[in-house]
Amino acid sequence: MKKITRRSFLKTTAQAAAVTIAAPVVLPEGWYSFASPAPTGYFENEFDISDSLCQKILAKALAKGGDYADLYFEHTISNYIMLEDGKVNRAYSDVALGAGIRTVKGDQVGYGFTQEMTEESMLNAAGTAATIANAEATKPASKFRWIVTKSYYPTDFKIVSAPLESKLPIVQSVNDKCFSLSSLITKVNATFHDQQKRIMVVTSDGAKAEDLLPRNYISAFVVAEKDGKREQAGWNFGGRRELAAYTDAAVADVAKKAVDSAVVLFDAVQPPAGEMPVVLGPGLTGVLLHEAIGHGMEADFNRKKISTFATMIGKKVAEPFVTIVDSGTIPNLTGSINFDDEGTPSQKTVLVEKGILKGYLHDKISAKHYKVKPTGNGRRQSYQHYVVPRMRNTYMEAGPASPEDVIKGAKNGIYVEDVSNGQVKIGEGDFAFYVSQGRLIEDGKLTAPIKDINIMGNGPKMLANITMMGSDLEFFTGGGGACGKAGQAAPCSFGQPTCLVKSMTVGGRR
Amino acid sequence: MNKEMQELTAWAIKTAKAAGANDSKVSIGSQRNVEISYRQRKPETIKEATTKQLYIQIFANGRYSQQTTSDLRKDALKDFIGNAITATKLLAEDPYRTLPDPKYYEGRKKMDLGTVDPQHAKFSPEERHNLVKAIESAALEKGGDKVISVTAEENDGHSESVTMTSNGFEGYEEDTFYVAGAEMTVQDEGDRRPNGYHYVVTLNKKDLPSAEEIGAECARRTMNLLGAKKIKTETLPIIIRNQGVGRIFGGFLQAMFGRSIQQKQSFLAEKKGTQVGSKHFTLIDDPFVKRGLGSRLFDGDGFATKKRTMIDKGVLKDFYVDWYYSRKLEWEPTTGGPSNLIVPPGKRSVKEIMKDLDRGIFITGFIGGNSNPTTGDASIGIIGQLFEGGKPVQAISEMNISDNHLKFWNKLVEVANDPYPYSSMRFPSMVFEDIVVSGL
Repeated sequence: MKKITRRSFLKTTAQAAAVTIAAPVVLPEGWYSFASPAPTGYFENEFDISDSLCQKILAKALAKGGDYADLYFEHTISNYIMLEDGKVNRAYSDVALGAGIRTVKGDQVGYGFTQEMTEESMLNAAGTAATIANAEATKPASKFRWIVTKSYYPTDFKIVSAPLESKLPIVQSVNDKCFSLSSLITKVNATFHDQQKRIMVVTSDGAKAEDLLPRNYISAFVVAEKDGKREQAGWNFGGRRELAAYTDAAVADVAKKAVDSAVVLFDAVQPPAGEMPVVLGPGLTGVLLHEAIGHGMEADFNRKKISTFATMIGKKVAEPFVTIVDSGTIPNLTGSINFDDEGTPSQKTVLVEKGILKGYLHDKISAKHYKVKPTGNGRRQSYQHYVVPRMRNTYMEAGPASPEDVIKGAKNGIYVEDVSNGQVKIGEGDFAFYVSQGRLIEDGKLTAPIKDINIMGNGPKMLANITMMGSDLEFFTGGGGACGKAGQAAPCSFGQPTCLVKSMTVGGRR
Repeated sequence: MNKEMQELTAWAIKTAKAAGANDSKVSIGSQRNVEISYRQRKPETIKEATTKQLYIQIFANGRYSQQTTSDLRKDALKDFIGNAITATKLLAEDPYRTLPDPKYYEGRKKMDLGTVDPQHAKFSPEERHNLVKAIESAALEKGGDKVISVTAEENDGHSESVTMTSNGFEGYEEDTFYVAGAEMTVQDEGDRRPNGYHYVVTLNKKDLPSAEEIGAECARRTMNLLGAKKIKTETLPIIIRNQGVGRIFGGFLQAMFGRSIQQKQSFLAEKKGTQVGSKHFTLIDDPFVKRGLGSRLFDGDGFATKKRTMIDKGVLKDFYVDWYYSRKLEWEPTTGGPSNLIVPPGKRSVKEIMKDLDRGIFITGFIGGNSNPTTGDASIGIIGQLFEGGKPVQAISEMNISDNHLKFWNKLVEVANDPYPYSSMRFPSMVFEDIVVSGL
């Protein structure tokens, strides 16, 4: 085998590198105009990953009789530039290059990976993966067909290769804007993160897919001081976008949300403890949906019968105005993907339709188990991890009620605006999420701000307890959202209309 | 010391200098990991890999950046370092960014911390499989007919790293580790399927409990979740199981870092020398615990490590202040982060304390929650048992505790005699009184 060049790898390290990724195309406005991600042959051109080499590695992975094997090649460049104490004075960069080889036998998985894109290293990794099986060798497909899909984000973006000088002013302006909005602000931390992840998936059943995923965001985190008290808050904006998305207006919006959120907390009160009606505001509160419902609908948990939703397919789980969707096809959102990490094209997957549980989120293993088609949810953090079913962008569809009526419907309770750190116990369905900011609802009206309380509930009970759904579906457009599962983080987002849950446990102190 | 890694690290330092860095710090690390899990008495996953990484900090013209790469070929590294230095020079100047004063490197102890198990290299694939199979068997046996699923796992590895700075620091670290455990799901009433787990982490295989103990403990913990329900909101004493204390202490710890203080994100910033907890709250940072998971002879800045009393009978004695934030704060640096955290154990067992308290909540786990380091406010979901007459009577779920750290740690009334050995936070179970437990 000839020596692998890694030309691009040498070129694309760190911020100052000049990267030529693909022929530049001027993109018109609007997601529907994104160019289709036609295969560029990147890994063959740069690392000599030919079809014949892929066949050889797949054959090794199936040498002990696996049902299926796949190869995942990745070259990711990540940059962070950060501001502290008024100056953009630190930068972090990371280059990740490697290949992961998976062998599947029934529901068993063997996995090996290497950081060296040499034939010898990849064959060794394939040998490790193969040990999951113990039978006669099986053969991979003799030819591969490119999977070409629609694109839900710019795939010929230039954000990583854009000169550092073009990004520094964005971070500086976040800082300046925050300080200009309130004299109470005493500290600002601002960050700009950009990443390009180039992947190629090659499967033993003959599929081959290539993608270039952008991920980027700006964030502001502020500390405010008033009368000897301090409060903190933050906000971020991003997703799978181009540098042009970070306009003055976007910067101003991030700064305003961070500053307003911190300043209002000086008037915050503690809510009472115990069960009460909870209204979820639109957008970010979709974290609750993600935790309380979404994880329980990942098919691996149901295949193993360890999810509380394992026996609920076809059953009524909510009122008819509740429809829950997980979609990888929403333009520019962090959880959008053109195809998943097994090469299955992305799609909109309906989980609950008009209150009836319709299906789960599948990778190829669970789809085979349930005898359904995979839903494009087979995802992984990187080449160092094997695929598991993961959410993409999960949301409830808009309902019939006005947001004002939903709040009135609660009469007395709490209104949740900003949340962080959710967690669920899949088998019990019990979940918790942390309310960084919200309001009391008193006599049907929003009153005093509240902060720093945990809310507890149970997924199936919460679904059944949704009594009103607003018409104001919003998606969370922050770029920093990531979900943890099986020791892996995967970018995701969520959406939520204003929604009334008639009873949840609020962790107050009185 | 790995000679090849040592030579490459020294070469990277020289290369950075030649490419225009005033100073640099380079670490090269290598890790080999094996993971095996079993379910339904057959392997569910097998994973094995070796990873390598170079991490470089660049100080150029008063500017600073950090970079990582997994491509350790010299020609690739030369370009990587050159590009990184060019980029660094575009950033704003930061007068506080320098390598540490070398005087803090001095005084490093010469002792064997026992972080390497010499037998690790002989840990065979067959032994690994046998360990996992035995854990699964024990869990299934103890779980009985309630069991829906058991996944048993082991994960072990060996890692080493070489770190050098351009102003004379050189350090080598090597360790082995073993993780063994299981998670179990059992059938409860209706659609509830409680899921419990038990994992242990050690540096030496000799410190692992037997596979039978691990599996049986997983089953015991899972069965204790059966029949869980919410009880009414009330003020009660709570006992937090040793393994869980670290989760709630994490919110307190966050406020002890120099960065949090300098960035005004610490509720402890002005509390040094004052009472931040009850007299039962003593915290020692000890980097020299034999086979301790946080043991080390030098810290992230290269400082020679020291044993420190961070909190003494409730009085805050020290912070974690690294070199950079010490310069910003104009304070003397201590160390950038914790090593092994020790709370001296008490005299009584949890069982004895429970009997004495009569009624309260024994918290065995947490769910969700968070802590605000700026204000000290914290709120977290709890899992555990209501005990009455000194005995567990009811599993609880969907419940929560909320407080401010400065009030919460003053409610600590006793520590038990059971420090948790499988973590760098070697905390015993702790007893707090007058806690509002939210439920119905």
